[in-house]
Amino acid sequence: MYNDEVMDRYQNPAKNGKMEDFEIKIDEASSTCGDRVVLYIKTDGNGRISDMKWQGEGCILSVVSTDMFCENAIGKEINSLKGQDDLAFVENFPIKISPGRINCVMLPLRAFRRGTKEK
Amino acid sequence: MISDFCKKEDFPIFKRKFNGKSMVYLDSTATTQKPKQVLDAIVNYYEGSNANVHRSVYKLADEATELYENSRSNVAEFIGARSNEIVFTRNTTESLNLLSFTIGESLRKGDRILITSMEHHSNILPWMRLEERGIYLDYVGFDKEGHLDIEDLKSKLKRETKIVSVTHQSNVLGTINPIEEIGKTAKENGSTFIIDAAQSVPHMPFKMKEQYDFVAFSGHKMLGPMGIGVLYGKYHLLEEMPPFNRGGEMIKDVDFHSAIFEDPPIKFEAGTPNVEGAVGLAAAVDYLKKIGMEEVRRHEKRLTSMTLKKLEDLKNVKYYGPRNAEERGGVIAFNVKDSSNLKNDLESKNMKVDRLYHSHDIATFLDERNVYVRSGHHCAEPLMRSLHLPGTARASFYVYNGEEDVEAFVSSLGEL
Repeated sequence: MYNDEVMDRYQNPAKNGKMEDFEIKIDEASSTCGDRVVLYIKTDGNGRISDMKWQGEGCILSVVSTDMFCENAIGKEINSLKGQDDLAFVENFPIKISPGRINCVMLPLRAFRRGTKEK
Repeated sequence: MISDFCKKEDFPIFKRKFNGKSMVYLDSTATTQKPKQVLDAIVNYYEGSNANVHRSVYKLADEATELYENSRSNVAEFIGARSNEIVFTRNTTESLNLLSFTIGESLRKGDRILITSMEHHSNILPWMRLEERGIYLDYVGFDKEGHLDIEDLKSKLKRETKIVSVTHQSNVLGTINPIEEIGKTAKENGSTFIIDAAQSVPHMPFKMKEQYDFVAFSGHKMLGPMGIGVLYGKYHLLEEMPPFNRGGEMIKDVDFHSAIFEDPPIKFEAGTPNVEGAVGLAAAVDYLKKIGMEEVRRHEKRLTSMTLKKLEDLKNVKYYGPRNAEERGGVIAFNVKDSSNLKNDLESKNMKVDRLYHSHDIATFLDERNVYVRSGHHCAEPLMRSLHLPGTARASFYVYNGEEDVEAFVSSLGEL
């Protein structure tokens, strides 16, 4: 299914697991597909992300997108992550996404934006 | 093919190729494809007879009105009702909302409404809104195989239960509920009995019974166009009910501060109706009548039992609902176990459940093979919660599907 890059990450996610000393915790559930993801964020105190992990379950696309998001976020500014373009975000995913599955890939970015609104 | 009266070639959409291949359409529970006969009826209406109905006195308007009213009679005859008991709506959802905003409004604090845990949202939300007014909504459960628990129904049927509204056939489990029996029980209790027939009228012979007060269904799920639905109601009940929408068409007389409403069914059809939709639906009814509803049911039952048997051979596939095709319609919800070696931390939760592929992933996998199935919660979240599932994939059949579709579906699924 999908391609090797996607399936490898799905089977061996890099950033899956609980974080104890998080600063921000975002609980995201999509009732339309039953996905449920928790994002844990730690910052360097200056608005830059020092670590990010996730827990939960979802479809292959949302899990892989969330895992990639957590890995790519490290060292980046919260505001620049939030401000990234939706279309570019979906296009950067390793495989072409059909319109019906865009929400799956967008899950971590939407959760991140919602959970860091006040930061 | 199903019979001499129904060929895949009747359905122009099946000429379409995706990546050079034909599609295997297994989502008729969501909406059905349309035969040329229905499409022609709509075009002919606009090319030859279009005018507003029930208004003007010239020839063309008479013709349009006649076409519209003949469509109503055709639909009425199809389910064994009288024409003045057929209200055209947009769809099943609107038919049930009409009831919620009319008979639902007459309920008082402390009254109860009884539905089941296998309802589509369209037979839940119109009733749930009444809870704000102190009206209780009760749910009848079902057993492991998806049969409705009739004892539970009887025990939840109280003196205060004013409305019993039940799906005839589940759009997920496929379960065909014993509505004649449920209707009798409801009537003995003095309750109004409503049937969500969106998944039954299109798929099996349906005959009106004394115990049925209201029956709702949609045109687009029975080869007709989208945007036309039906509400059957016993005439004396329709007469007693207040109107739903108000405006043009539905009045006999309007003064500055008062109005006299039309008789049913026009009382419930405010504004210019969907004449095109009614004409298209009547053509769909003609098409189905030619095949014969007994034959439609027999055909779907055969495809269903064939599919269930094949799915049972696929060790990683689990399907839901009755095992016996006699007790279910041609809709099969299923999941696929993911036996790959995941290093996700789900295992740490110590859950003794099979890890399932997400239904969207199954649907995308099948989509890559041009097999079109639905995925998600199928607008039946309380049902999904009862099953403790976030969702399922779902394959469903109709008159244009054949054994080749079953083969393509099962062999594609076997590759997962």
